Amino acid sequence: MKPIKYLIIVVFVGLLVGCGANIPPAELINARQAYQHASSGQAAQLVPAELHKAQEALAIAEKSFQDEPNSFRTRDLSYIADRKSKMAEALATTVAENATTAKANKEFQSTQTEILKNTKADLASSEKSDLVKSEQLATEQKARLDADNRAAKAQSDLANLAAVKEEERGLVITLSGSVLFASNKSDLLPSAQDRLNHVADALLTTKERKLTVEGHTDSQGTVGYNQDLSQRRADAVRSYLISRGYSGDLIFAQGIGENRPIADNRSAEGRANNRRVEIIVGHLAN
Amino acid sequence: MKQINKARLTVYILFAALIAGCASSPVVVNKEASTSAIRAAEEVGASKIPSAALYLQLAKEELENAKVLAEKSNKEESESMLSRAQVDGELAVALSHGDADKKEAVQALERVDKLRQDNKLLKKGSDQ
Repeated sequence: MKPIKYLIIVVFVGLLVGCGANIPPAELINARQAYQHASSGQAAQLVPAELHKAQEALAIAEKSFQDEPNSFRTRDLSYIADRKSKMAEALATTVAENATTAKANKEFQSTQTEILKNTKADLASSEKSDLVKSEQLATEQKARLDADNRAAKAQSDLANLAAVKEEERGLVITLSGSVLFASNKSDLLPSAQDRLNHVADALLTTKERKLTVEGHTDSQGTVGYNQDLSQRRADAVRSYLISRGYSGDLIFAQGIGENRPIADNRSAEGRANNRRVEIIVGHLAN
Repeated sequence: MKQINKARLTVYILFAALIAGCASSPVVVNKEASTSAIRAAEEVGASKIPSAALYLQLAKEELENAKVLAEKSNKEESESMLSRAQVDGELAVALSHGDADKKEAVQALERVDKLRQDNKLLKKGSDQ
């Protein structure tokens, strides 16, 4: 039995020694773990060449471990393999960061371009709006100028047909009563119609203005009669202007009678001047 | 005979001394690669970057160990240790670059965010 026991002890010790020889050094364990970590991360995709170097370094360390398990060479080669894996990971991180930077810079540029484009569009829109406004303003100014020109021309035309005077109440066109009406009548004479046509044409160029037609008489006859006659004459002129196209809403007829003479009623000439119709062209409302 | 023995003894002693002397004499190793790696790591500021500083420190210590081993005539071990120093120095450089690149990436992302926020404020201001 003794030799058998001895044999068992020898085999056991041999087994222990054998196993002990196969225990890898800490450096190799670290190297294996480091490579495992690196190869399962982004290094495989981003820096395959570096990862391959790490793999080769690990293979050399493994070979050394097979040949000389306990040598300093195995430990140092394992240590180097560990660092090569870590290097691959570090370089992969660098590549990833560089890609992030490049992407961010590109995004910065595209955002900047977009902002510039939007700003230009806003500016163009604003300029267009300003242009429209200035065009509107120019149109309004032109319209106003045209209206002023028309009014000036009308005034000039009227001056040739009748007495025209600028007063505080407006432009006053005075037509002689004897030209427009027969004595004691309120119907317009045919010759008066021709003259009134010219007046009406001139007024139609400024038809947006309010007109007041005033009838005036001399002091002969009763006040009531004169008042009535002056009203009828004013109405007759108003009706005629409406028939020529002037808006009825803008013409107001008023009989003044003998109340506002412009000349002496004692002379025939003075009375003739007092018999009149005045058309007051109101100021343009702003 | 006695004289012969003495002579032999002297020869043995001299021979042993010679062997001992040869064994402890320093060996020459090429430290160029490892010192270059350490210098490069220092130049990129590895000592100020936590992740890289450790490896720079290890590289320096390994260089010193290699010198000691060379002093003890352990040429092979010294050279192997120098390889450790070199790879640690190189890793310190790589980590330093990675840190700088990371900072740059963060700054680039911040620039984009700031531009977008400024534009948002500008747009909000113009809408009001």
